[in-house]
Amino acid sequence: MGENTKTNDSILKKILSKNEIGTLFPLVFLCVVVTIINPNFMTFSNIMDVFRTASYYLIVGAPLTLLLIAADMDLSIGAVTALGGVCCMFAMRAGVPMVPSILIGLAAGALIGIFKAWIIVDCELPALIVTLGIQYAVNGIVSITTRGLSVSGATKAFKVLGQGRIFGRIYLTVIIALIIAIIYQLILSKTKYGRSLFAVGGNPETARLAGIPVKKRRKEIHVIVSVFAALTGILMASRFSSAQTNAGAGTELTVMAAAIIGGTSLFGGSGSVIGSILGCVLLAVISNGLVLIKVDSFWQNLIFGIILLISVAIDKYRQKLSNAA
Amino acid sequence: MAEYLLEMRNVTKKFPGVVALNNVNLNLKEGEILGVCGENGAGKSTLMKILSGTYEHGTYEGKLYYNGEEIKLTNISVAQQHGIEMIYQEINMVLGCNIAENLFLGNLPGKGKLVDFKKLYKDTEEILKYLNINAKPTDKVGRLNSGQMQMLALMRAYIKNPKILVLDEPTSALTNSEVDQLMNILKELKSKGVSCIYISHKLEEIYRICDRVLVLRDGHVIGCHDINDIDEQTLIEEMVGRRVGNLYPKVQVDIGEEILRVEDLVVAHPRIKGKNIVNHISFGVRRGEILGIGGLVGAGRSEILGAIFGQLTKGVQKRIILEGKECIINSPIDAIRAGIGYVTEERKLNGLVMMLSIRDNTYLASLNELPTKGPFIDDKEENKRTLEIFNRLSIKAPSIHTVVNKLSGGNQQKVILAKWLIKNLKVLFIDEPTKGVDVGARAEIYTLLGELVKNGISIVMVSSDLPELMSLSDRVIVISNGHLTGEFSKPDITEEAVMRAAIK
Repeated sequence: MGENTKTNDSILKKILSKNEIGTLFPLVFLCVVVTIINPNFMTFSNIMDVFRTASYYLIVGAPLTLLLIAADMDLSIGAVTALGGVCCMFAMRAGVPMVPSILIGLAAGALIGIFKAWIIVDCELPALIVTLGIQYAVNGIVSITTRGLSVSGATKAFKVLGQGRIFGRIYLTVIIALIIAIIYQLILSKTKYGRSLFAVGGNPETARLAGIPVKKRRKEIHVIVSVFAALTGILMASRFSSAQTNAGAGTELTVMAAAIIGGTSLFGGSGSVIGSILGCVLLAVISNGLVLIKVDSFWQNLIFGIILLISVAIDKYRQKLSNAA
Repeated sequence: MAEYLLEMRNVTKKFPGVVALNNVNLNLKEGEILGVCGENGAGKSTLMKILSGTYEHGTYEGKLYYNGEEIKLTNISVAQQHGIEMIYQEINMVLGCNIAENLFLGNLPGKGKLVDFKKLYKDTEEILKYLNINAKPTDKVGRLNSGQMQMLALMRAYIKNPKILVLDEPTSALTNSEVDQLMNILKELKSKGVSCIYISHKLEEIYRICDRVLVLRDGHVIGCHDINDIDEQTLIEEMVGRRVGNLYPKVQVDIGEEILRVEDLVVAHPRIKGKNIVNHISFGVRRGEILGIGGLVGAGRSEILGAIFGQLTKGVQKRIILEGKECIINSPIDAIRAGIGYVTEERKLNGLVMMLSIRDNTYLASLNELPTKGPFIDDKEENKRTLEIFNRLSIKAPSIHTVVNKLSGGNQQKVILAKWLIKNLKVLFIDEPTKGVDVGARAEIYTLLGELVKNGISIVMVSSDLPELMSLSDRVIVISNGHLTGEFSKPDITEEAVMRAAIK
């Protein structure tokens, strides 16, 4: 018993010393403000909506957090999301059973991921431009193959993924997202693999000289992010019963903002998935709250943009603080 | 007209914990070339930075006089206004710009804001012809080799009509014929009345070109001589002559059989085509032995370690025999697997992950040996093991979770040592073991190295600190210009012998 309280104590201390706690205050503050203006915010079904929105950010946000920690980035997430959904639905419409269709969607993501990893890591080109280029190219592929139309044909069983609820109340996607996030948090903080990512992002040359396979790590995470981007697209297709060609438009920046707001450094070497969960929820609250307090939804992009800029500035400031020490 | 063009009187420059220059007096006549020599860390670069205005007036004590009048070099441009120009050891070019733009950098011809390109290219063409460089003014500077770039840097200073030219180890990137050309240009400048301060530890060059030579050691002026009045022997003695304290506890260890042998190691120069930075070097290390590698900065010593360890792979040829068996090392992963550890010279650059904790840095090279419970790291056991080595090396920090960039240089060095000591090494490479380490931690690190060899580990150590090199090593090999130029065993290792081999 005595030892238990002691570990609890140190865990609490650990949590308080982490960057992500900074996200909790604005989150609580926002919830209170929105609730005061429109009490409907605090209803169960609305909160569930917020979590549902956040879960789509989080499914790719969790692996993206690992990518950012390894000092890499990916702007092709949105396009790969659309591609994953479209590929899965094409297969399903052609009569392929559900599970293989999903695997086809994921494989499409993996393929893009492998190509991306090869250009960035082996050819040593800057991730920013490469993933931007891939975003355009993949969007192009999606538009060409679908002629800009959504791809329908979701089977009943498939729709359960994005529309189903557990106990009739909690969306399945929220559970899926949470499980994924927890797994990634455990990988990051509890395994040798996670430890090596911090070293890769913190100082790749030091990591290389310590025998850590830096290139391999970076490639793996790049592929994983693309696979999970495709998974997001597949879940979205399930949610809307059809694959939308603009399914993931703009999510790469939203998700990156969520991670950075959650204390993950854009410069690599530090961060946590727990922080990203909070970041995703925060952004979901903003987008939901704006609707509830009847602010034109056109404001949303402006506000997300400002938040992204502020969080990058905070990240830089943190960086400076730790260098000065 | 004053007797001296430039005078430095009683200049003292202090850094926290170190006096880099101590009451230094220097004077320079018009049309004279003054050599400044001394060991690594004698204060040569500090002297240069004061003259260039990099360390501005007021950050040091003492006064500077120009033609008998006191001057205050408050920043770099003030120094340039007085006609003081610098040539640095490292190449200082904008690689993406063309030759003409680099040559006239900050000094482009033309009226107002417009550049007179016709004149620019014509002048550049003349200079290129003078230098015998076969290139067009509009070619990118990146196409030239580093020797040619160094020549351009010299001409860049020259076209500003300097009164005083300060050169800091200008020949370290040059081939022999380029050195000849540099010497000729300097002689020509001299005949035009330009004065030079020529900083170098290559005595051959000093004797070739200088009129007088000033010797610095540990921030003091040891002597200033007419070049004809001093022979090489005396000069070397003045450069190194200092008593060795008993900072260096050397344990007696029985040296065993040869454990690592390197045959015919070649490393191509990263920038100069056709030049090797390490040239066909072979050596062996025996069990429990400390092998010192001596030589001047830039002689190719660190490259030897990096090439064996697999840090460098481009242009490397080598044959490595470990415990009698041929061993292929293509990457640090292979080297570590073979039982080699490498403490690099630049801690921040590639020794530590500065934002991670002492514990995480300690286990950096041993992730596969981390204690686990199921798929997860066993935190408690890891902390316990880290604490053991933390205490054994008496690292001074609040806890093992302290981030390493909050530590002093000495403690950071200990964390790097901890990283390799938790592994079962056969050979430890260590480059400048006490660079930026205070005296107290220094002695501790020496004691630790002694313990290591006692436990049967062999150490290969690069050091520019001569007393350190002499006292710790059982044997010293000396590298000069990529060649092995000397090998000494105890008790024949003397500072003079090492220095003489280093400047061969």
